Amino acid sequence: MRRFLSILSATAFSAVCSASLFPGAALAGEASVPVLVPLTGFLSLEGTSQRNGAVLALKDAPAGVAVRSEVIDTGTSPEAAVTALERAAGGKVTAVAASMLGTQMLAMLPLAQDYGIPLVTVSGTASITEQGNPWVFRFFPGDAVTKEAHARYVTEELGKKRPAVIYQTTAYGQSGKAHLEQAFRTLGVEPVFEEGVDPAAKDLLPVLTKALAAKPDVLVLHLHSGPTALFIRQAAANGVAVPIVAGSAMHQPSTAALLEPAELKGVCAETAASPISGGSPEVEAFTAAYRAAFNAEPDAFALGQYDGIRMVLAAVQGGADSAEAVRKALSSGTHQGLTMTYKSDGKGNMAHSAVIVCYDGASRVPAIAKRYDNVTGVVTGMVK
Amino acid sequence: MITLQLLVNGLALGAAYALVALGFVLVLNATAAVNFAQGDLVMAGGMLGVALAPHLPDHLPLPGLLLLPVVLTLMAGLGLLLAAAAYLPLRRRPPVAVFISTIAAGIILQNGASVLFGPEPRAAPPLLGGGTLDLGGLVVAEQSLAIIAVAALLIAGQQWLFGRTQLGRRLRATAQDPEMARACGVPVTAMILITFALGTAFAGAAGLLLANRYFVTPTAGGDLILKAYIAVTIGGWGSVPGAVAGALLIALFEVGVSSVLSYPVALGLLYATLLVILVARPQGLFGEAARRRA
Repeated sequence: MRRFLSILSATAFSAVCSASLFPGAALAGEASVPVLVPLTGFLSLEGTSQRNGAVLALKDAPAGVAVRSEVIDTGTSPEAAVTALERAAGGKVTAVAASMLGTQMLAMLPLAQDYGIPLVTVSGTASITEQGNPWVFRFFPGDAVTKEAHARYVTEELGKKRPAVIYQTTAYGQSGKAHLEQAFRTLGVEPVFEEGVDPAAKDLLPVLTKALAAKPDVLVLHLHSGPTALFIRQAAANGVAVPIVAGSAMHQPSTAALLEPAELKGVCAETAASPISGGSPEVEAFTAAYRAAFNAEPDAFALGQYDGIRMVLAAVQGGADSAEAVRKALSSGTHQGLTMTYKSDGKGNMAHSAVIVCYDGASRVPAIAKRYDNVTGVVTGMVK
Repeated sequence: MITLQLLVNGLALGAAYALVALGFVLVLNATAAVNFAQGDLVMAGGMLGVALAPHLPDHLPLPGLLLLPVVLTLMAGLGLLLAAAAYLPLRRRPPVAVFISTIAAGIILQNGASVLFGPEPRAAPPLLGGGTLDLGGLVVAEQSLAIIAVAALLIAGQQWLFGRTQLGRRLRATAQDPEMARACGVPVTAMILITFALGTAFAGAAGLLLANRYFVTPTAGGDLILKAYIAVTIGGWGSVPGAVAGALLIALFEVGVSSVLSYPVALGLLYATLLVILVARPQGLFGEAARRRA
């Protein structure tokens, strides 16, 4: 019920913003930023984080910037996303907080180019920034970045040479697996076991058993939230001593909430950021504000979307008075976000940092174990 | 030892699948309608468990077990609502109308759960305890044993109800021939409502049992309805024991084959087996051919 109230409050916020003119002697500018994200369907967990991050950024608009916004659920179909963008484009739009679902982004890109609207997203799908479309800006490290960090932590920090890679059979899983393979290959490491798991699989003991039979020295996961928790739980129940380094789903507080702290002992994960781990007064303030607004724990998707919208609003505050001016500011500018510095690589990839977080077994809040900045996705150097 | 462990896991999963398939086949028998909301009703049972968990008294032993009768009752009520909204107004229409209306009901349940509980995976409390038993190297989750025990009790209870009571006889008469049952004075509409309540209660129980061990999300039902459908097809349309056996076979197949080959291969082989059964033995393994009704 509290969640329902928080959704209502977010909706009310949107309604208020739609008609708002923030009081101020002189306005630096006005920003109209529709939030078009998947709030229903299989990606609703991540989509909700996205929405919350965007809404919080709009709520914290810089002084002198008046904000208009509405939240539209794009569901999971490309058509719904296109319809939502067409609806939003009916008025003057500064930028759009756009769906993190790759197929929806790919459908929206041509339309964004036609209308001249910057799309600010946290989608991890590599191809969205490979279309030569100047209107897309990704505020979340793609697989090329995160999987490099993932593989480097396993090989360089843990010194492991026999990883068993367990990935999801979805597009997300296949992409991560491909980047992991490439990163391991470059680092001179050959996985001893690789297997895809359907998200609907209820029992992961079979794949765990087979992975262990290959005598790995580390279990590398690239699974969605539920399967990640299920795998770790079954590994803990069976007394598996091999270390686990999971994908970004593990860093989400909702994933950790499914497990006992003891089950998490020694588990690590890659992610763009871990707001609940703190690290700076700004991140802690963001986390506190997020909890107060949504009665939930923030994750890296929320933070990435927050930073993206903040960069848009900073551009407006700096004088960008049209969508084209905002696009130029995002393309050429640098933005110091809460956990990293964002700058376009020329294709709209803004995030080039990743972190590894680890759990100590005493709580569900991970600590940042290693930070990787300016990651190119091209691994250099060989592990001896 | 690992084979034994996989067998226990397969049985636990199969027991939960059996409850889903059982609810599915009960409604199918009574109404000749395929209830495609059955998977989402399983999800609803799991979510109910999640929602009710904070209200459990901490000081009582086995608090999770206390949820079971509550979930069964509330889900039975939801079944009555489902019947009243998605079946009864459409029962004289072509079967496709009910087919669509139950899909719609499922989508409403999914999105309702998403709004009320949020999209993240949740875990319901364990029925007996969250621990594991080490039986000489065989690691068995207490919840697995609870799933098998509760499912066996509910299935046995259902058999007793249908085989030994006046209500059960009326339910069976309605399932076999509604028109004849009506002519004999059986309140057919009431029997259909009770069947929906029963089928939904079973789905809710399955949801509660699964939600602790395998977690629950608003979209978790889609896969389960498919499993129930396959179980009923393998077991034989209309056969209650067939549905249970079909569900157990699916789960053991899933766990067994994926432990030797891989999960995608196991799924592929499962569907291939289903095709073979449909062609070679359309009445299912247990041979109780479904009767077509106009």
